[in-house]
Amino acid sequence: MAAVLACEGLVRRFGDLAAVDDVSFTIAAGETYGLLGPNGAGKTTTISMVAGLLDPDVGVARVLGDPIGPAAVDVKRHIGLVPQELAIYPDLTGRENLAFFGRLQGMRKPDLEARVDEVLEVIGLVDRAGDLAKEYSGGMKRRLNIGIGLLHQPSLLVLDEPTVGVDPQSRNAILESVEALSGEGMAVLYTTHYMEEAERLCDRIAIIDHGRLQAEGTRDELLRLTGEVDRIDLVGSGDLGAAADALRGLSGVERVAHDGHTVTLTVHDAPTLVAPVVSTAVAARMSLADVEVSRPDLESVFLHLTGRALRD
Amino acid sequence: MTAVLAIAGTGLRRFLRDRSNYFFVFVFPLLLVVLIGLQFGGEGGESRAIVVGGSDLADQVATGLEDGGATVSRGGSVEDAQETIARGRADAAVVVTEADDAAFGAGEPVELDVVAGSSTQALAARQVVSVELGRVGNDQRGVLSLEAAGIPPDEALAAFDTVAAVGPTVARSTVGDDSLDEAFAGLGQFDLGAAQQVSLFVFLASLAGAASLIQSRQLGVTRRELAGPVTTTQVVAGEALGRFVVAFTQGAYIVAGTAVLFGVDWGDPVATGAVLVAFCAVSASVAMVFGSLLDSVNVASGVGVGVGLVVAALGGSMLPLELFPDNLLTVSAVTPHHWAYEAYAEITRRGGGVGDVLPQLGVLALMTAILLPLGAWLLRRSLARAL
Repeated sequence: MAAVLACEGLVRRFGDLAAVDDVSFTIAAGETYGLLGPNGAGKTTTISMVAGLLDPDVGVARVLGDPIGPAAVDVKRHIGLVPQELAIYPDLTGRENLAFFGRLQGMRKPDLEARVDEVLEVIGLVDRAGDLAKEYSGGMKRRLNIGIGLLHQPSLLVLDEPTVGVDPQSRNAILESVEALSGEGMAVLYTTHYMEEAERLCDRIAIIDHGRLQAEGTRDELLRLTGEVDRIDLVGSGDLGAAADALRGLSGVERVAHDGHTVTLTVHDAPTLVAPVVSTAVAARMSLADVEVSRPDLESVFLHLTGRALRD
Repeated sequence: MTAVLAIAGTGLRRFLRDRSNYFFVFVFPLLLVVLIGLQFGGEGGESRAIVVGGSDLADQVATGLEDGGATVSRGGSVEDAQETIARGRADAAVVVTEADDAAFGAGEPVELDVVAGSSTQALAARQVVSVELGRVGNDQRGVLSLEAAGIPPDEALAAFDTVAAVGPTVARSTVGDDSLDEAFAGLGQFDLGAAQQVSLFVFLASLAGAASLIQSRQLGVTRRELAGPVTTTQVVAGEALGRFVVAFTQGAYIVAGTAVLFGVDWGDPVATGAVLVAFCAVSASVAMVFGSLLDSVNVASGVGVGVGLVVAALGGSMLPLELFPDNLLTVSAVTPHHWAYEAYAEITRRGGGVGDVLPQLGVLALMTAILLPLGAWLLRRSLARAL
């Protein structure tokens, strides 16, 4: 299948910092591609290049075969960007926001009005279309933010962490919308640091950290990279650094990472290791509040590849 | 072009939708026109004078003023006269003390205190009082001359009155550029205030609009615009046009409102329109500079109001330029308000047309030619930062 988006060796530096370093991937029509990584991994910079807001220092991004960049005005018609921030005017109504961005896309009445109505239906804001956006709930604003990206029926929809700060109900509605879009043949680039969103939505996932793609593939392909290890999360307080050091010495423990309240381990055969892991953590003066054992997931993959937890 | 119009139109829509603007955009300017009209304006009718004091000299001055067509009231204290003038119920007062009267009768030099208001009518009244005091002084010198020639005082006075009644007279007519009453001739009560306020509020509205430029960047809307099939040039042009439309809307509202509500005569509509357009272009350019240089909406709003008021005061939007000392008038010329004020004065007071205000239009166009490219360049730079 022909690629809607093809990124070839993208590099973007800000001073000495390589925000994106040799990133390559492709997305086909009807495919949802996830960029999974923690904050500061390079997701938004990658998206800025894909959306034609930034020129790469090295490499090229092509949309439907044409290079995309700030000067490629016509190519941008094929892209719908849903930025991480709520890029809407709070003092305009939902309908006015949609109409404004539709005109920027070159849409005209009466097609524009008809399309605005369709999008309002898709994002579930028909009843509130005449209300000012500042009167919307956080989830409704997020849905409007997405609706603007869909308005001109782009070939490539780029969603930059669209569920940040959204309540679970709205989040689920957004995820269902994205699933429906890819089902309609739209190519979707979806960045997130929520592992479960990537697992649910994405046909293929790239794990990005420090500006580089660490791995890419389907969920199952990525899980195989870990060697089928399990994960144990120890939630609690105390000296988590000392506990992590102590746990690294246990046989069967592959990797250990910790943040302010959780020590995360990737292990072989978690059921047999839970008891020694708990006793070792307690002996290291960690006060345990919860112990969670899980089968391999993308969190484990990220930990396996980077030595860090995804939430770090 | 569609993108430019969409951005500009949305800027106007957001400006008009902001309820906090309603008072300052639609109500406050007209209130100020009324206030300034009452304080400084005049209908060009007869002068209203007060003569403080009850001596012969005071009687002569009062009678002379009445003969000259002024409405004169008598008595009261100096403080009473000052308060009456401050309340706009009189234009000028002459204070004649007993000592003044005695000195006058003895043929000694006398210096009378004159209290004048701040209205254009007061300027004229001051002139009338000045002329009348000169006449009284001349009469007294004539009487004293006859007495010195040996004619008894009663006969001298009678002879002088006879000469004054039948003798030749010299009419007074004010000529010359430095005459204040000539400068304000032809103005209705609210005309001066309207011309001043249109510049003041157009400039303030533009600077207030600068905040929305910052908000668009902060909200990420500008970034989103540039992710569409829109060039940076189109975004910059749209924002510039948006600032201009906001400024022109404010200006057109004041012009139309004062014409309809207060009968302000704006003169040649083409000339007035040209001055308004030129001034709005400068204001929009300044707003672009502000909105690009500053990153905080609150700072932009505060600085905008402060700068707007200072520049307006310096440019004659609070006190007529005719009352400025020469050095301040020179400094004032750096403000667009100064040139708009001069242009409106030419149009509304002297019936000028476009050809008569070409110099002022040229200066305003020059200001735009400098500030607009600067604002566009700064906005481009700030957009690049926002990405």
